Amino acid sequence: MTEPLPSLQIQSVVYNNAFSDIAAAVEATANSARYAQQEGVIGEWVLLLGDCGAVPFATEQEIAGLADVASASGGSLAYTHFGENLGSAGGHNALAAQGASALLIILNPDAHMAYDTISRLTVALLPDVGLVESRQVPVEHPKDYERGTGLTSWGSTACAMTPRSVFDKLGGFDAATFFLYCDDVDYSWRARLAGYSVRYEPSARLFHDKRLTLTGDWPVSEAELYYSAEAALLLAHKYSRPDIVAKVVHSLERSTDLHHKRALAEFMRRRSAGELPSPIDPDHRVAQFEAGNYAVHRF
Amino acid sequence: MNSSAQSLLHPQVSRSSLSDFLQGLAREPLIQPELAGVLKAAVDMLRAESDVASPFLTVLLRTQGKRIETFKDALLCLSAQTFGDFEVLVLAHDVEPEGLAEIGHVVANQVESFRTRIRIIPVEGGSRAVPLNVGLEESAGRYISVFDDDDLLFANWVESFHEASERSPGRLLRSVVATQQVHPEKWADGADGFRTSTWPTAEYAKKFDQFDHLVVNHSPFMGWAFPRELFHVLGVRFDETLDVCEDWDVIVRGSLLMGVDDVPYLTAIYRRWVGGVSSYNQHSSAEWRSSEARVIDKVNSLPMLLPAGTMMQVRTWLEFGKPEDMINQLRDIHHSKGWQALQIARARMAPARKIVGRVARLMGRR
Repeated sequence: MTEPLPSLQIQSVVYNNAFSDIAAAVEATANSARYAQQEGVIGEWVLLLGDCGAVPFATEQEIAGLADVASASGGSLAYTHFGENLGSAGGHNALAAQGASALLIILNPDAHMAYDTISRLTVALLPDVGLVESRQVPVEHPKDYERGTGLTSWGSTACAMTPRSVFDKLGGFDAATFFLYCDDVDYSWRARLAGYSVRYEPSARLFHDKRLTLTGDWPVSEAELYYSAEAALLLAHKYSRPDIVAKVVHSLERSTDLHHKRALAEFMRRRSAGELPSPIDPDHRVAQFEAGNYAVHRF
Repeated sequence: MNSSAQSLLHPQVSRSSLSDFLQGLAREPLIQPELAGVLKAAVDMLRAESDVASPFLTVLLRTQGKRIETFKDALLCLSAQTFGDFEVLVLAHDVEPEGLAEIGHVVANQVESFRTRIRIIPVEGGSRAVPLNVGLEESAGRYISVFDDDDLLFANWVESFHEASERSPGRLLRSVVATQQVHPEKWADGADGFRTSTWPTAEYAKKFDQFDHLVVNHSPFMGWAFPRELFHVLGVRFDETLDVCEDWDVIVRGSLLMGVDDVPYLTAIYRRWVGGVSSYNQHSSAEWRSSEARVIDKVNSLPMLLPAGTMMQVRTWLEFGKPEDMINQLRDIHHSKGWQALQIARARMAPARKIVGRVARLMGRR
């Protein structure tokens, strides 16, 4: 008797996105799920949109139109307006709790999947894998991965697949610690501590609309300045690296950037209030702090 | 001014260099009315194609079907464009039936809103220019761009061309392209994949320089959108006798005829292959030299239409030398031991620095 095909829940957290961007992404996601179903690698699928914006990003009629797109591709779509900004980690935990599928895909709301992204991720999700990540274009993430296996330090949840069993075992994302950035680094490292591998699957491509400046540089947003600084402190603390915490604190103290100052102040407040997580990975088995990054980078 | 000449100055006229040149001739107060009529008809023809053709852009996507994984990347980049008024002609050049079937499979599985804008056109034989000329015959777009199957586009590639086209109708549009190294590598599933090994580098000039482009091409193909009139009115075609440099040939001839508008965005990534086959190593150095020589001969054999402002540019060069040369000379002096040791020399050089600054500002290089 053949095993039933694994069911899939794809979930995106929306926050003040333009409807047209989400509509285009939904069409691409539904097409990718249709292809995976046609290829016989997944069974039933659903796309969940969780809205953290103050007001719904779309009208009921527009949401119904998106649901029609999913339905025409053999799946379904459900929309939840959270009514508060839960952040990326909190939003995904809330969405995950809405279903019981065997597989989960965490997806940026405005990212475009290729037609075979879901099928490539599913095939790459071998029994030992806790998280498998897609390759982003046009700006590819520089972190290193092992030739042949794709083994890597952590996986970006711009588009990544994880078995629900792993998600549940890990208790989902650590929303109490990470609001916006590095919740995926933390999830990856906890998966590896639990004995799973994290893999990069270059054949599973994802278009993520990132732009570079005319000089080829990454334009850093205000949110990125704040949350990346905060996450650097939180990750170093959680993964038992007080030496790194001290270095980052020293660096932020010397920074003239107001977002850096705010991030440092918030970390200090949480430390004083006893709101920081208990440190884990005391033997440094999984956490990598490499020149300000969380993996060795290829470039 | 006669009525024919006045009509040539209507604000809606195309702003290509050739149109400007013809209009300049027509402004002569004593021009023969018959000649003015001919000039007006020529200017009208140069804008007539754009008035009727649609969609905005035709993308000539050249593929040999040898890199299906990069081809998938290329289509994904196109499918995610923020401005969707374009068609894609997949020019499958000398592709074996198996490869053609694979290309067909990839296209057939694109989202419907994109798939309906793609056509696959098999092309047999000839140089790299042949599929482009086949694509030109099939193109319906008001502008035409060339995008090879192993490069990448940012989401605003088409949108930024469209924005610039409204600013400068009739001119070539040039955006900025970065380069990035990739290595061929087998992927876990056995596919002929690749590994990206550098961050995108913006190594090409941010602004187009006509004279620099007479020396060598500084602008990868996919950074350009060519007005339809270049091909469908003026009759320019890609030179099928060239083994390589078919892009440089049309870029130089087109820019001289129609002028160039700079698009101030980085819109694409040109992948440089380290190992594996690319146009760099697929063709011998003799083929490269021969193609370059042919392009130079063709351009050199005809009178040249240069952009407005060239008169002042050339006069400045003849008087002071090229700004880069002067700036480099000053930089050398500034870093020399003598410069650092002799404070008095700085005072003496102050006038020269002012001149260089003035020249550089004149040339728009700072």
